Amino acid sequence: MSRQKLKRLGLDLPLLPTSTVGSFPKPPELAQARTKYARKQITKRELEALEKKATEFWVQTQEEIGLDVLVDGEQYRGDMVAHFAEIMGGFQTGGLVRSYGNRYYHKPVIVGEVRWPGPMTVSWWRWTQALTAKPVKGMLTGPYTVMDWSFNDHYPDRKSACLALAREIRKEVEALIEAGAKIIQIDEPAISVRQEELPFAIEAMHLTVDGLPAYFITHACYGAFETIYPDMLELPVDNLDLAISNSALDLLKIFEKNPFTKDLSLGVLDVHSHKIETPAEISARIMRGIRVLPPDRIWVDPDCGLKTRTVEESRAKLEAMLTAVRQIRSQRTSTP
Amino acid sequence: MELILTTAGSYPRIGDAADLQRHRQAYAQRERGEMSEEAFQKVEDETTAQVIREQIEAGIELVTDGQIRWYDPFSHFARGLEGVEINGLLRLFDTNLYFRQPVVKGRVRRQRPILLREYEFARSVSSRPVKPVLTGPYTLARGSVLGGGYGSVHALAVAYAGILAEEARDLARAGATLIQLDEPAILHHPEDLNVLQEALALLAAARGTARLALHTSFGDVTPLYRDLHALPVDVLGLDFTYSPKLPALIADAGAEKALALGVIDARNTKLETAEQVFPVLDAVLPALKARHAYLTPSCGLEFLPRERARQKLETMRQLRDAYLGGRS
Repeated sequence: MSRQKLKRLGLDLPLLPTSTVGSFPKPPELAQARTKYARKQITKRELEALEKKATEFWVQTQEEIGLDVLVDGEQYRGDMVAHFAEIMGGFQTGGLVRSYGNRYYHKPVIVGEVRWPGPMTVSWWRWTQALTAKPVKGMLTGPYTVMDWSFNDHYPDRKSACLALAREIRKEVEALIEAGAKIIQIDEPAISVRQEELPFAIEAMHLTVDGLPAYFITHACYGAFETIYPDMLELPVDNLDLAISNSALDLLKIFEKNPFTKDLSLGVLDVHSHKIETPAEISARIMRGIRVLPPDRIWVDPDCGLKTRTVEESRAKLEAMLTAVRQIRSQRTSTP
Repeated sequence: MELILTTAGSYPRIGDAADLQRHRQAYAQRERGEMSEEAFQKVEDETTAQVIREQIEAGIELVTDGQIRWYDPFSHFARGLEGVEINGLLRLFDTNLYFRQPVVKGRVRRQRPILLREYEFARSVSSRPVKPVLTGPYTLARGSVLGGGYGSVHALAVAYAGILAEEARDLARAGATLIQLDEPAILHHPEDLNVLQEALALLAAARGTARLALHTSFGDVTPLYRDLHALPVDVLGLDFTYSPKLPALIADAGAEKALALGVIDARNTKLETAEQVFPVLDAVLPALKARHAYLTPSCGLEFLPRERARQKLETMRQLRDAYLGGRS
């Protein structure tokens, strides 16, 4: 069904389209430049020049590896929520909060009506798309996750904050589509944390995408399946991206009871491990998906953004993934 | 009615101000091998003394040590055990904090007291009583990877409870009069209430003269509220932020046990007002059997920036004083 939608959008993707979840590691010189920029030792223009150089590197690398749907690699983002909170109206940078060990981050605070400030990601998308003939995904963080990763001093409750964010993020979706984006990924890694809030998380996604002409993907994190399946199928998107690399999840058993109704992106690489998976391991993970869903509804990608891996590890992991996918594709076409 | 001000566990280790970075800098120095364990422990001591002072200045009458030395609510205790290894990061309930998961590999045992030194230090630097806060046996077991011959959460919870009972005995002997056990996991597994009961009985038998407080958070406690009264603890700590119907339920069902009322949201920066808190107190307090209750943040304060954590405590004191002042 979604193959037809992709065709209507003018996209002709091979069997088992390959992609990535969004972020790539920042080369060391960019990481250093970001620190210098934070200390006001270099200008915004100098930083941007390095961000563009890194983006070019990653586009070229993705093409060399042979990925089908590309990303800009988020070389200009710190984290997935703060990046948007810094640009959108209604937010303030919050104080430091610990996330684990000795890691702290500035958790944003909603202090007024949230407001779309004009295109936030369009210029990067347009610039990246101009570098390649392959489709580049538009990449956004979903309203529920932005709400969950922010403090809320303004709205009476979490639901009204989330729905207000949805109405503003929709404007960014519209701007991406107007610029020419055909595939838009709206990440909701926080979506499984409070089961009782899933109904308004779904309502928010409706507000964000309903009636808009693009192929929508939502990336959720490990654990989503167990806690919110099958209810999560009500998310109004075409493709759900789920981590299976680390999980012993019996998809067959789960789908037997409640058939999976969307396209499925199989997160087959463990981005939190230094180990480079072998093509055989990856094949086995893909086959777990093919046993339960028709292969033309399956996409293949890592289980999360690759930003915590090195450049070399990222490349090696993705090359192994493409080797596995090519083998499966050739077996499929040679046996009628 | 006496309303005692207390905190619920963790406290932010650093703040945004330049003079509140010490712990983070020392941690990084130790990681780079530039600081010895002993020197780092001194920094932890200093930070602990500082956050205790801050609680007292904000008006808290029963303080905690802020769990400054705890990596997270699971691995800190587990690191003190034989038979347990520590795994990768997982999200702590619905928070933005990550914990390292204990993996049970063999028979769990403690070699020596785990929390006693921390409690003794906190007591030595506090002019107010200190409440030790422990993650409870059931939640610890739920958050662990089973193994080492423990085939069920039930078996592991009872094993952990045996060790926590020794901890409670040490703490009570060292002078703790109220020991808090955090059991958020029970809210997500009400079917295991009997497991919790069996585990807590071991602690209750070892607590000596100390009283036990059970604290639940990160979920709606209303479905379990009545059943919690059957557990062998003296105080029930309740997170009101998930449960708009809890005040009415308590007003209706009453409370045989003393309650710690978590009416200050430790997860959000917005400061509470009299309009929000007074109606809750109006509903709940007349239904209590005990002559005292505790006022507390809904959970540990580490989810907030340091400055806001302090403001939350000051707000709690102002609200308490205004509430009692308006009624005497």
